[in-house]
Amino acid sequence: MLEIFQYQFMVNAFIAGMVIAVLASVSGSFIVLRRYSMMTETLAHSALVGVAVGIISGTSPVWMAVAVAVFSAWTIEYLRSYFHLYSDAVLAIFLSGSLALAVIIVSLAGAFNSSLFSYLFGSILSVGMEDVIAISVFGVAALVILGLFYKELFFIAFDEEVARASGIKVDWLNFLLVSIVAVVIALSIRIVGTLLIGALMVIPTISALRYRQGFGRTMALALVFALLSVVGGMFFSYYFSLPSGATIVICVLIIFIISLAANRR
Amino acid sequence: MRFEAAVFEVKSLSYRIGSEEVLQNISLRILKGEYCAIIGPNGGGKTTLVRLLLGLEQPSGGDIYLFGTSIKRFNSWDKIGYVPQRASQTDASFPATVYEVVRMGRVAKRGILAFESAEDVSVVEEVMTKMDVAHLRDRLIGELSGGQRQRVMIARALASSPEVLILDEPNTGVDQRSQQRFYALLKELNVNDHLTIIFVTHDIGVIADDIGRLFTVNQTLLTCNDPKEALSCSEMSKLYGIDAHLLSNHHRH
Repeated sequence: MLEIFQYQFMVNAFIAGMVIAVLASVSGSFIVLRRYSMMTETLAHSALVGVAVGIISGTSPVWMAVAVAVFSAWTIEYLRSYFHLYSDAVLAIFLSGSLALAVIIVSLAGAFNSSLFSYLFGSILSVGMEDVIAISVFGVAALVILGLFYKELFFIAFDEEVARASGIKVDWLNFLLVSIVAVVIALSIRIVGTLLIGALMVIPTISALRYRQGFGRTMALALVFALLSVVGGMFFSYYFSLPSGATIVICVLIIFIISLAANRR
Repeated sequence: MRFEAAVFEVKSLSYRIGSEEVLQNISLRILKGEYCAIIGPNGGGKTTLVRLLLGLEQPSGGDIYLFGTSIKRFNSWDKIGYVPQRASQTDASFPATVYEVVRMGRVAKRGILAFESAEDVSVVEEVMTKMDVAHLRDRLIGELSGGQRQRVMIARALASSPEVLILDEPNTGVDQRSQQRFYALLKELNVNDHLTIIFVTHDIGVIADDIGRLFTVNQTLLTCNDPKEALSCSEMSKLYGIDAHLLSNHHRH
């Protein structure tokens, strides 16, 4: 067995990381094709508010992040759908507002420390068995839901108006999708960090799009790229003592550059 | 042709955006098997009327009945196939093959939690063949010409086996030859498949021979049971607010 797998924390990190790679790339495919990529960054910043509250209140930062991210996702979707506000403007408001709130909370509590740093950029050392179980249970549930509504979500991503005219519950499915994305982001912060998870959701799909395939194959390619990035990033992180989130993002960026160079048209 | 029942019935419909009255007091009945056209100037409310019929907008007043049921309670949306205005101008970079796009038409019919049945596959194959896009099945939608994309979008609308087909200016960005082929196809769907067709267009001259009734919309609605009569220059001038001259186009297929 490789030396890296003799440590339980590395085994935990690999299991959690691979589940996150699958979830991030599958849910990210729908988000990217709906021109909603900035949603991932915004929800990641919202999750940071939950982390800050969790750290200063002594509750679980991850579960607080899940709660705040889901609440933010619903509020953003509500404002976009019912007040017809520009999507990018709503996201910009939430992105900067959440970051400001998180910074104020941790400043007031004097909690700028290494614990917060690990949530910002990810730390494989911090992944416990509890996290692996939470990520795996949620991961299977989220994949089942995405699988059940795959055809509707694909239709909405391609043509929301015609999907709505066909009687598909577009608003309800939009809420469902952003809720799943919010939870994926919040659960991923142990591995990738709040500031870097957006890249794992968006870049694999953007890279896969360069190969000009149908939707099913594009999603499968994005999944392979995300898995390669997570596995490669963790190996580099372990052997070169680098932050896991940053190395995973560098790996996915390398895949993007190769995809771009290989498919120039 | 034998007309049986009202597919759409609209009573005193109005639609307002802020203080602006977009549509006022519209009443109409469209019967099963009819081929109607809706014409009018840009901004006259044609697309708004279609969106109201599809439940995509909420009226400010009046009632809409689909297949005899109030639109508020109507849920058999798979009976209505819709080809939107920008049908031939889909996002060129979207990763969807022709087959994947046509399959979307079965989604609402299948319902949530249902797997694709043999009937679903067979209907998709059948409409692709009918629309002459079966040979393009693995091509990306963004790689097709405007006319090919238009046929794919109609195939998607037909995949739900609808009783009504609503087309909102689907010829935008489509070349002349494809347009003529398209008009012949609509006539065939109406005559052979008994499909009710509602066609929003500016290009009324070329389908005047095919359509049964013409609705002219410019905030209010005028119904004409003899489309050729309505196409007189004075009527067109009144509708569009400019001097109109009719150029005949006797296409035959």
